[in-house]
Amino acid sequence: MKIEVTKTEVLDALQQVQNVVSSRTTLPILSNVLLRASGETLELTTTDLDVGIQRKVSATVKRSGATSLPARRFFSIVRELPEGEIEIEVDEKNMAAISCGSSFFKIVGLPAEEFPALPKLEEGKHYKIAAANLRDMLRKTAYAISNDETRYVLNGIFMGFKAEKLTIVATDGRRLALAEQDLEFPKANEAEAILPTKAVRELEHMLGEKGEVQITLTENQMAFEMHGTEAEAAAGKGTEQEGTKVAAERKNVLLVSKLIEGTFPNYRQVIPTESKERVSLERETLLTALRRTSLLCTDTANSVKMHFTKNNLSIIAKSPEVGEAKETMVINYKGTDVTVAFNPEFLMDPLRNLDNDEVFMELTDELSPGVVKVNAPFLYVIMPMRMS
Amino acid sequence: MSGTRTILHVDMDAFFTSVEERDRPELRGKPVVVGAPPDKRGVVAAASYEARKFGIHSAMPSRTACRLCPHAIFLRGDHEKYSRESERVMAILRDYTPLVEQLSVDEACMDVTVSLRLFGSGEHIAREIKRRVRETTGLTASVGVAPNRFLAKLASDLKKPDGLAVITEENKLTILRPLSVTRIYGVGKKTEPLLRDLGIHTIGDLERFPIEPLRARFGVWADELKARARGEDDRPVAPYCEPKSISNETTFEQDVRDRGQLERTVWELAGEVAGRLRAEGVRGRTVQLKLRWSDFTTLTRRATLAEPTDETSCLAQTALRLLRRELAADRPVRLLGVGAQNLERGPAQLDLFDQRTARKAQLERAADAVKAKFGEKKLKRGGTL
Repeated sequence: MKIEVTKTEVLDALQQVQNVVSSRTTLPILSNVLLRASGETLELTTTDLDVGIQRKVSATVKRSGATSLPARRFFSIVRELPEGEIEIEVDEKNMAAISCGSSFFKIVGLPAEEFPALPKLEEGKHYKIAAANLRDMLRKTAYAISNDETRYVLNGIFMGFKAEKLTIVATDGRRLALAEQDLEFPKANEAEAILPTKAVRELEHMLGEKGEVQITLTENQMAFEMHGTEAEAAAGKGTEQEGTKVAAERKNVLLVSKLIEGTFPNYRQVIPTESKERVSLERETLLTALRRTSLLCTDTANSVKMHFTKNNLSIIAKSPEVGEAKETMVINYKGTDVTVAFNPEFLMDPLRNLDNDEVFMELTDELSPGVVKVNAPFLYVIMPMRMS
Repeated sequence: MSGTRTILHVDMDAFFTSVEERDRPELRGKPVVVGAPPDKRGVVAAASYEARKFGIHSAMPSRTACRLCPHAIFLRGDHEKYSRESERVMAILRDYTPLVEQLSVDEACMDVTVSLRLFGSGEHIAREIKRRVRETTGLTASVGVAPNRFLAKLASDLKKPDGLAVITEENKLTILRPLSVTRIYGVGKKTEPLLRDLGIHTIGDLERFPIEPLRARFGVWADELKARARGEDDRPVAPYCEPKSISNETTFEQDVRDRGQLERTVWELAGEVAGRLRAEGVRGRTVQLKLRWSDFTTLTRRATLAEPTDETSCLAQTALRLLRRELAADRPVRLLGVGAQNLERGPAQLDLFDQRTARKAQLERAADAVKAKFGEKKLKRGGTL
């Protein structure tokens, strides 16, 4: 294998794929990135056997071929190289010679054949969604994913394709975030899946502002393929034949993940159908007040009390060994007095990740779940803390 | 801790049996034992001075006690009554200082340093306490007065029962020197034989022993030992000591194979532990199960919860999950224990998928109130009957 690639392009690709690589693995090849050169592309692949990422970049291929190189080391070398073209030449013993300007490196690789291939998801249900929309849905929900390994079905996001909608839900049993988006797909494609946290994090990294994501869902795997924006622009030009060729190359990022097996809890059941009180609040103001009061929270006293009285909200954090904080907000509230305690982090999470100016809080009493809503298909259910 | 302190150690004399003898005069002057019946498994909780003459002491198996003194009178004991009496005694102590640390149901130490100006000398306060305890409860206490906790406890033991002893900076070495090193707190089954190997038997031996060979043997513990041998101790009196764990266990009268009975026992133990957690206002993040087989092999198993709990059902179900994993076919169980560890305070995060929990917690709190008013036995969970 012998290729020439520009530093910026290969660095960008490595940045994208190297997160998947685990530093502690029993299988040494999993620390490597698979490089495959053919036609006019270099394909970079990493996997931890649960999640795999593949990224294609354009390259001048002088001799096609494949190898695998230690991902972290390769990445740190490329990062330090001067700007410009990098030449990579690999011999039959998988020794890679990397040269760029006045720099020269030789690193030891492993045979490409030993690298576990990413599964090909040809058969399955297909969906299409704008990358920006999916990214937005993940941002509004993924923070609520549970990291409690004993509740493994909650260690990911629920994705439901049903009734011409994509519904994404994440919960850790203490709060639940739900986002919805209209989506066109045939009725036969109605399905649900739980995508594990690691895949969600990678997906968040790779989703951009533009382009579309093609989703393929099978029994136990899910693939996300993304179109590069530059390739997209190029696709508009050229002959029809070139067009199809470019179209094939446009799919330049692929993420394949195993799904979490098991049944996601019935989240509909825990969303309160009606609450006693509803109040409109300025998102930024509430977030700032919570951030300030939470300065006085500790590991053992991690709650703030919210007192809703006529046209007034006061937020109080108190702990005997630290002290007390109080924030007062003038609000438009005509309901009965309600006092309820929440973990401030859990309440700040959605506020940080929404961009609406106004949020609505729905409350019933100090033991019932509170609901945060916005003028968009999103909702957040949060369980109070029982005051002692 | 600067300056000279005055610490009192108050120890009720043969507390449980004294309460029984007070209420049942016919028992007076007889060997009385509170604890498990002599024909059953279990141990002596307390022995009267008369019983102690036969060599009976607490923590001894009741069967052994019965062999030593066949005519001893064995009583089950009324622990609720003892708690009530204990509370009356503690209330008297708290009249002299808020710095009262209750060490057990019948023992407390108190720091009266700042109370001296109000109430007179430590010895005077000690005499007052003894008099008031006798007048209020009809029971006797032994009190030690000393500049620190170690010496105060030692002093309370010197003239038992109904004793009063004062140890001062001036007389402490004279009192300590002839005593066995085992009287030093922290010197027990592990340290004592090591000291004995060095020819150290009495506190005086230890005090005179050169520090270097001691350091070679014990490391930093050597300096601590020497300080204690000189009668030094700077532990403060902490009025309230946060519990590190709360647990309860029971030894079956006969080994149990029946799963149903084992599970009912777990529920009972969990209920008791949960009640104590709630009374302390803490919740446990770790649940521990203790299991002793009939051959005395003992195992403990732990599970950590995502959110700490003070609820019977959560404790019981977690402990049952641990139990079911261990139960081998037909292997009889001698002892079961349930405990809560990693205790936390403060508001409890409620669970979205178990919203009944919040209501259950209210129910348990209501049950606590009923038990507090009418006694522990009046209210039980359906399954444990």
